[in-house]
Amino acid sequence: MNDADKLSHRLALLDGVEIAPADLEAIVKEIEDNLRVVAELEEFAKDTPWISQQLQPAGKKA
Amino acid sequence: MASSEILESTLNDLSWLIAGRKLSSAEAVAAALVQLERLEGKLNAFITVLGEQARAEAKKADEEIARGEYRGALHGVPVTIKDMFDTAGVRTTGGSKILQDWIPQTDSALVERLRAAGAVIIGKTNLDEFGHGGTSTLSHFGPVHNPWNVERIAGGSSGGSAAAVASRIGPISYGTETGSSVRRPASYCGVVGFKPTFGIISRHGSFRGAWSQDHIGLFARTVKDIAVALDPVAGYDARDPASVHQDAPAYAARLDTNVKGIKVGVLKKFLDGVDPAVRVAFDTAIKILAGEGCEIVDLDVPEISYAAMTSMLTSSAESAGINRRWYRERYHDFVPQVARGLAVGMAITASEYLIAQRARQRIREAVRAAYEKVDIIAAPTTARVAPPLSEGVRGNGDDARHASYNQSNLLRFPSMLGLPGCSLPCGNNPEGLPIGMQLIGPWFADQTVLNTGAAYQSKTDWHTLRPAIASA
Repeated sequence: MNDADKLSHRLALLDGVEIAPADLEAIVKEIEDNLRVVAELEEFAKDTPWISQQLQPAGKKA
Repeated sequence: MASSEILESTLNDLSWLIAGRKLSSAEAVAAALVQLERLEGKLNAFITVLGEQARAEAKKADEEIARGEYRGALHGVPVTIKDMFDTAGVRTTGGSKILQDWIPQTDSALVERLRAAGAVIIGKTNLDEFGHGGTSTLSHFGPVHNPWNVERIAGGSSGGSAAAVASRIGPISYGTETGSSVRRPASYCGVVGFKPTFGIISRHGSFRGAWSQDHIGLFARTVKDIAVALDPVAGYDARDPASVHQDAPAYAARLDTNVKGIKVGVLKKFLDGVDPAVRVAFDTAIKILAGEGCEIVDLDVPEISYAAMTSMLTSSAESAGINRRWYRERYHDFVPQVARGLAVGMAITASEYLIAQRARQRIREAVRAAYEKVDIIAAPTTARVAPPLSEGVRGNGDDARHASYNQSNLLRFPSMLGLPGCSLPCGNNPEGLPIGMQLIGPWFADQTVLNTGAAYQSKTDWHTLRPAIASA
């Protein structure tokens, strides 16, 4: 998938809400920033166990 | 008793006066309401004022106390709450146009407990829309102004609560925090802001910013007042999935200013970018804690340099999930900056959210290990004083989007990990604007945090300063 397709895929997640062009530009910039953030976090956390927490019913004990 | 004396009284003082019938609740509430009305045009700290209802509740409190039916330290005391808490029969907006006329049928857990304690709610404070912001400028009802300089922001999202307490509009206010929404405005407005360990106070009936990071918190002028006001509202509530079983709260009774031997960790690498006046105030505060017998420990937890990114990605995704329906149906009714933030959150995928949770786990383990070496982590609450309103949402200047030693990491990690945290006034800059220091404890060490804060306040008087506007 090229960069344009990747961005189109992301914008599809906005559920078709009509957004003004200036706002959309700011949103795209933030989305691109988040992609970089995720890449940085993925590297940072690569050796960490995946969390596996269940929320148990309130008041129950083993 | 003169109105000015009533307003200057702490919660602890007011409680004693009202319980001993040396001051009526009606007088205390009337004084707070007059102060509120006098300052509201300058501060815009409130969305809804409960004048008549508050006066009626004060009268009822006085009658109950006269009959010997005293309910405790909050009975008859004027308090304010952030407009995030459902309040039966009272407009509850979340700072949003979407709910500008919404009147809930039932009380939030916090309001239930305040009513049971006999507190008199005099107003609902202004905020960033649904808690999404750090400035209190993103409200449908206009920005909150800082009482120390009305051209400055109050900080957010609980800015109205912090401004109210700083201005002596009631001795206590209840707010919420998802990222730094109690500690930041407390620092900017020169008051104490405390958020307990995740799960100590029920969030049932309050709007959610991001469910895994949302906390209820408190504002007051003294740590002692925080403890007094925390006891009646803490406790298990099955309606909040995060609520924890806990002993009957007794934070006030257990408050102890003997902190000899407490190990206070300082993350020196995070101090480099701090404003010089803030640095001087913080260093002085640390010396005072050392003078009280605390052992100061140099600490290095490099994983915290990823905290702001992790927290922001998490809260962005969660808030989009919470607001999904309104995002689709009412996008243009949100404050524009908040709407854009929700759109960005909608574009975060499930796997990306999970990567953030994995990063969060790494940070959690590193912080847990750090607390094997120290009892408290201390830091400046913010790197700078309250910025000008004209700088807008970028004014806070600590929006870290890379791993870094930016101060925002220290603001974000306590909420992201659910740790108890307290911001205390520890100085003023040359322009007279407040500076805050935060004390962060490990999970369920709320009492240690409060004790250390109380010890600091017993040797300093920054918390007694008041903005000129409060006494004009």
